[in-house]
Order: sequence, then structure tokens, then C-alpha cells
Amino acid sequence: MKKSHIIAIIIIAVAIGAILSTLADSSTYASFRIAEEHPSKTYHVVGKLNKTMPQEYNPQKNADEFSFFLIDNEGKEKKVILNKAKPQDFDKSEQIVVIGKMEQDQFVASDVLMKCPSKYNNPKEDMKTVSSNH
Amino acid sequence: MDIQYTGEQLIWGKVGNLLVILSFTTSLLASFSYLIFFRSNDYSWRSIARKAFAVQTFSILGIFALLFYLIVKHRFEYYYVWEHSNTIMPLRYILSCFWEGQEGSFLLWMFWHCVISWILIATAREWEGGVMFIISLVQTFLASMILGVVVFNYKIGSNPFVLLREHPDFANLPFIKFPDYLSRMKDGRGLNPLLQNYWMTIHPPTLFLGFALTVVPFAYAMAALLQKKITGWIRPALPWAFTGVMILGTGILMGAAWAYESLSFGGFWAWDPVENASLVPWMTLTACSHVMLIYSHRAKALLSAFVLAILTFFFILYSTFLTRSGILGDSSVHAFTDLGMTGQLVIYMLFFLLFALILLFVNRKALNEHSEEEHFSSREFWMFIGTLVLVIGCLQISFTTSTPVINKIFGTKLAPPSNPIDHYNQWQVPVAIFLCLLIGIGQFFRYKKTEWSTFKKKITLSVVIAILITGISAFFLGKYPPHYYALLFASVFAAVANLDHLVRSLKGRLSNAGASVAHVGIALILCGALISNSRKEIISRNMKNIDLGKDMSNKENIMIEQKVDTLPMGPYYVSYTGNEQKGVNVYYTISYFTLDRQSGQKKKEFDLTPLVQLNERMGNVAEPATKHFLTRDIYTHITYAELDDKKNPEGVSDYSPVKIHELAVGDTFVTSNSFVILQGLNKNIDRTNLHLNDSDLVVGATLLIEDINKKLYNSEPLFMIKNFSILTREAIINELGLKFSFDKIDPSNGKIRISVAEKRSNKKDFIIMKAIIFPGINILWTGCLLMITGSLIALRKRLRKKNIPDSKV
Repeated sequence: MKKSHIIAIIIIAVAIGAILSTLADSSTYASFRIAEEHPSKTYHVVGKLNKTMPQEYNPQKNADEFSFFLIDNEGKEKKVILNKAKPQDFDKSEQIVVIGKMEQDQFVASDVLMKCPSKYNNPKEDMKTVSSNH
Repeated sequence: MDIQYTGEQLIWGKVGNLLVILSFTTSLLASFSYLIFFRSNDYSWRSIARKAFAVQTFSILGIFALLFYLIVKHRFEYYYVWEHSNTIMPLRYILSCFWEGQEGSFLLWMFWHCVISWILIATAREWEGGVMFIISLVQTFLASMILGVVVFNYKIGSNPFVLLREHPDFANLPFIKFPDYLSRMKDGRGLNPLLQNYWMTIHPPTLFLGFALTVVPFAYAMAALLQKKITGWIRPALPWAFTGVMILGTGILMGAAWAYESLSFGGFWAWDPVENASLVPWMTLTACSHVMLIYSHRAKALLSAFVLAILTFFFILYSTFLTRSGILGDSSVHAFTDLGMTGQLVIYMLFFLLFALILLFVNRKALNEHSEEEHFSSREFWMFIGTLVLVIGCLQISFTTSTPVINKIFGTKLAPPSNPIDHYNQWQVPVAIFLCLLIGIGQFFRYKKTEWSTFKKKITLSVVIAILITGISAFFLGKYPPHYYALLFASVFAAVANLDHLVRSLKGRLSNAGASVAHVGIALILCGALISNSRKEIISRNMKNIDLGKDMSNKENIMIEQKVDTLPMGPYYVSYTGNEQKGVNVYYTISYFTLDRQSGQKKKEFDLTPLVQLNERMGNVAEPATKHFLTRDIYTHITYAELDDKKNPEGVSDYSPVKIHELAVGDTFVTSNSFVILQGLNKNIDRTNLHLNDSDLVVGATLLIEDINKKLYNSEPLFMIKNFSILTREAIINELGLKFSFDKIDPSNGKIRISVAEKRSNKKDFIIMKAIIFPGINILWTGCLLMITGSLIALRKRLRKKNIPDSKV
């Protein structure tokens, strides 16, 4: 067997390993319903903040615990407990992705990603404020 | 009906559009003429091609100059200017406007291609035709990205000179119907404050130069295949490949430095898809340049050189696609928005991939003749294995980064790994171990064949020294998982072996030591990354809190009240002394103290001022502050702060809104800093000072106030009826920041109404912060500098070598 063949085999083996490990490590985008069905699995749940429900943040007691209510894309609402500090500008977020799992009717999140009305979108909003100044 | 707009200067846009179209057509013409030139060897075509390329360069410089002028003059009738600049932006960041937007960054890329191309036109001689054909073709595709022309309902590219009122986001707004809309506009949207940072003025141009440089080995490889001169390209392309490795590497490291200094994640590398998108081509380019080196010494591994040159350029195109098509969406902080160019980017990528693969296939016979086995004891064999390890590393990074693409193609719902850092590290730590070992042992092999006995004799010293250093550092660093020890040893060994080579084999001649110095640099970067990451210590642990168990152990943040708390953090005591607003930035002063054991006194060591940027566009952005010491850094970051008062400082009075209390005599109430009792009502008030008649009414509410230190205060707000109208006189206690007002008497139940306002400063300001100690980070930065210096030395030597045969011609 030539060395180039050995090399080809090594590359293929590693490529398969990479694919399998990615699949094993990757989480899935899902709804609260699915997360409830598989309580031990980690999911990414996409949803919106329910601004009518209270948010709890008591940094004096624990600066790394923050809770709020999230309505997922199927319309289901759950209390989310985030094991992190309350993100700055949290209330402004339009879309929220929570990463974690269901535990006794609560979603315990290790991380949260927010999409703010920001960066590049909606110049119309900006213009409204600009034009109303005249 | 056409509206006659006032105040616009449309001429610049018209000139700009002309230049945009000119840059596209002339790059197309240049590539066509170069194609005919190298097919026919007719020098008149070369002359046409060069002229076309000159016009193209001129157009791009013209577009740059025009955009620059429009931004400086704040011509907000142009969408790009409105979108990326404003009138209050500091002038030194104007160049940053070019890389905030997609159009500007494509321009920057094209500009670098022009610079590179003119160097090639001046030096490439017989390769000019083929190489410039490819580069002009690449340039044509890039120019199409800023074309902004609609063909068969498909918009090609996004034009930087599009007018605000013609931009789809604005075209139908009523606001735009005013003829004087321009004078009604307050300001542009402005540059994203995250980019208003010194690293951000040098990181993107460097990175784009690195991107642009990868086209050269690719163009040489393609030219070689087209002209069936498949071996001659390596020598002229080699310095370019190494320049690319150096510049792209520097660009990536500048990005890492930016992340470390001004981003909030607390580190220099986060395996973000956009970071990966520039790391992967760097790895393949490094592999490519080493394979080219093998070929230039031993005339071997030619096919690998071709494949890697193609792969590098492909990864550049792929990373352009990933970051600019909007496909990364949520999974990255710095992905650009979708400008509707996904199709165009895919075509761009596939065109060059297919082009290259077809050429390889056509030349497969010629390429096969050059494959021959290397000997195990040869340097080239181990270098080759090293490139293989690099490619394997790339495959893994690319695959995980591509999950959004996989979702798109297969309709799956894969999310990125919930713990990306662990996921990447489990692969990349072994890759780094192998690379370091290979960088180390490579120095002790000769090209072609090495006697095992000499190899053993030479390597022993480095192995012994490396084991000693690893052992000692391991003792100080404490417990590690085994693969971390392995990386520690491997990186130390790589550094020692290359130093050994520098001292013993090269006898300290620095002009030949480029490779060794650069390799020491890489080894130190990996060693520094290992130590600072694995031994970073989050010192802002929540001491007030009881242990919440394993699932809740994420204790990284701590709350500090202004001037109240001095909290122990690691070796320090930390307090929050105050904040100050300058422009859009709020600076928080955090003081670090140490405890003097003998006197028990706290001694102030240093202040850090992390900031929060009040950023309307991006949401508020916190920027950390870091104290640098020789052996470690202390990083401090504001996780959360109350900012509502800061956003509109005008219109906020000194006092908070009043709180109303209905009280009978003897009733009590509390404020944030005291306890208040209504002792009685005083009817014996001296009327003369108040200009009251005997028929008027005046009553005082006698209040006794006790503060938290049990200190007592008296206060007596007054309630008056003068000429049938109610008057009140407030009573203020400055020490406590309290303002009392006696507003009403209710005759039905005998209760009175007292309202209290408190000074805002009474509300205790607090922040939630995070502090991390990074040890050994300077090993990493030293490594960066050595890598760059080493590359420069090697390049200088190679260019000199190259010039010798040239001078004979």
C-alpha cells in the first residue's frame, strides 16, 4: 500500500470523526413542547419576551440568576431561569434564543442570545424619530 | 409628477456610477486581453490589457476618493453615507466607514488586488499573462458586487452611490416626498461605535490585504495549468504565499487583540464563525506554502501544492459567502446583513472551484508523473505530515462552522454546539499538539535523508530541556488533564528545538533564522493560549451567596454598590468608586486594593475604568478594561448597570418623583435612608415672615427623622391658606437629600398628606461586574511578535535570493 493511500484513509477517518462529533455536540432548534418531551436534552429555543410578565433579578442575592417569561414560536409560554447576569438592554430585545433544558416546568438556560432592533435593520424606525423632530 | 429636490448634489453619484461600471468593464477587458495575450503571445494585447487594468485601478481609486469626499462633506442624500457616517463622528474613523458596509469592504479588497497586481505586472515577466488573467477575472467578479444593476429582475451587486430616496427602505416613505427632505434630516446613522476603536482601524485593512494575497498563489497555479508549465510557478509564487501567511496571520491576531481588549466575552478567541472563516484559509495557506517549500527543495509534492493553493482560495470565497450572504444570521456577532447577493456569491464561489477542478483534471497525467515517495527520515516527509494535520484541523473547523449551510441545504435544524469552545478544543488541542511536535522535530531532519544516529544526537538536548521546563511549569501551574500536559510539552519542545536550531546549526546568523524565529513564535502563541485559557481565574465570585448546587454554579458576576462595598476578589479587594459620562461613553471607576497583612490597612493598587457605550443602534455595549502586568492581566467588565438616567440627562430633576403618605399624628413612614415620624401639628407659626394676615391659616407638620446612624433631624413643612388659595412651603434636609411637602389636610379623618422627594443620588448606584485574571497572556503576544518578525526575516532572505538570478538577466 502506498503512503498516499494511508493518508487518504486517515483523512477520511478524521472527516467522519468530525462529522459525528459535530452531530453529537450540536444542539437542535426546537420549541418548548419538544424540550418538554425530552427533559434531559439541551435545546435552542427561539421566542419572544413576554413583557407583561414580571422579570426577577436580585443581584444582591445572586448576580448570576435572572428569570423571565418567554413565548416560543408555537405560542407556548414558559418561565426561563437564566444562570447568568441579566443582559444589558434585555427589555429591548426583539427575538431571544435560550439555550438549555426543561426542568420541572421551567426552562433552565445556560446562555441566552438576543437580537436587538439594531445593527442594520429598519431604517424606517430611525427616520420616524428623525422626522418627528421637525 | 416629478419632485424637484433641493440641496442635493447628484453629480458625484453620476460620476461614481460611471466609475463603478468602468471598473467592471475594464477588469473584464483586462482579463480578456490577458487571455489572448498569453495564448497568442501578441504583445499588443498585453499593452491593451495593461491599459485596461490601469483604467480599472484609476476607477477604483476614483470611487474611493468620491466616497471619501461624500462622507467628509456629509452628503446624506447618498444612502451609504447616511448609513455609515454622521456629523459627530471623529474624523480619524472615516476610513472605518469603508469597512463597515459591504460595498466599502469589497472596494477595499479590490484596492489591494490593484496594488498586488501592479507589483506583479512589474515583476512577474513570463507569468504576467496567465497570472493577471486570473486576477482580472477575480476582480471582475468583485466589481460585479458593487455594480447595482438590475438584469432580468435580478439585482447584481449593491452600489455604494445609491441615493437615499431611491433606496428600497426609503422610496415609499412620505418623508421622502418633501422637496427639501435633505434639510429636514438631522444626521446620518453613524458608524457603529464598536468599530470606533483603534484596532478596528487597522485590523480590517490588514485582514483584507491577507485575503487579497491568497489570490496570487492561486493565480500562479491556474496560470501554470493553463500554460502547461506545471513546475515553474512554485519559485515566483513562494514569497507571495509566505507574505500571505504573515499578513493574514497578523490580521487574525489583530482581531484577537481587538476581541481581548474591547469585546465582552473575556478572551481573545471564541471560535466564532467569522473568526473561523479567516483562520481556515490561513491554515491552508500555511500548509500550501510549506508544501511549496518542499517542492522548491526536493521537486516533490507538486499535486499537493496545486490542491492547497486552490483550497486556500476556495476557502477565501467560502468565507466571503458565509459572512456576506447573511446565512450565519444568529450564529455570529459580526456577520454582515443579507444584501440579496447570496446567488451571486454562490456563483462566484462555484465558478472558480469548477474552473480549478477542470484544469486539474485536464492536467492529471502531467501531475501524476511527479508523485514519488519520500523517505521517512527526510524533512519533507514530516513537513508533509504537518500540512496534513493542518488540513485535518481545517476540515473539522469548516464542518462545524457550516452547520447553517447544512441546515439550508438539507432542511435540518442543527444548532451550533451548546458549548462551542469545548467542542472545537477537543479537536484543535490534539491538532496543536501534533503541529508543535512536528515543528520541533522537523528542525533535526535534513531534506532527502537523515542518519538516525545524528538525528538522535541532535534532538536529545532539546527533549531534555523541554521535559525540564514542562516539569517545572507543570509544578507551578497545578493539575491539568493529560492532553493539556501534552500540549504544554509539545509547545515548549517546539520553541526549544527551534532555538536550538538557531543557536547550533545557524550559529545565531539571524538573516537565515526567519523560519526558526517564526516557529518559536507559533509555539509561544499556542503555549500562551494554553496557559492563559486553562489557568484563567474568574475572581468575581459571589461571596454573599450560598452555594446553589452544581447546576447553578455559574457564579461569574458580582454586584457592587457604589462607595459601599469593598469586596474580596482573588488576591484583591475591589470597590466601585463612581462613574463619569463622556459623550456616549459612561466610564465606571473600579478600584483594586490589596490588604497589608501587618497593618491590616488596605492599600490601593490601581484603578480600572471599564465603560458602557450608550449605543442606540446596537444596544448598549460594554467595553472591558484590563490592567496589564508582566505575568498576568486583570480583566474587568461591566455586565450590567442601571443606565436609564444616563440616556437623557436633561429633563431629569435632582429629585426623584414624590411619594405620598397619608398620616395621622404619631404615624410613621420610611424613606430609602431614614425613618420619619409625624410628631404633631404646629399652629404657632410666626406669620410676619410669611406675609400672612390673621385671617389666613398656617399649619406646620412637625417631623422627626432618624437616619441609619440613629442621628436625629427635625423638619417642618408648612401648609397655608392665603386669600382662599392653598400654598405650601417645602422643608429640605440636605444631609439626607430629602424634601418634604405638606400638601393637604383632610378634615373628615384628621389625616394630613405629606409628600417626600428624594435626591437621586440617594438611590444607591450599583454595577454588576466580572473580573478575570489571565496569567501568561504575554507569552502569547510575544509569540505573535516573533512570528511576524520571523516571517519578515524569511521574506527578506527569499526576496534577495530571488533577485540574484534576476540581476543576471
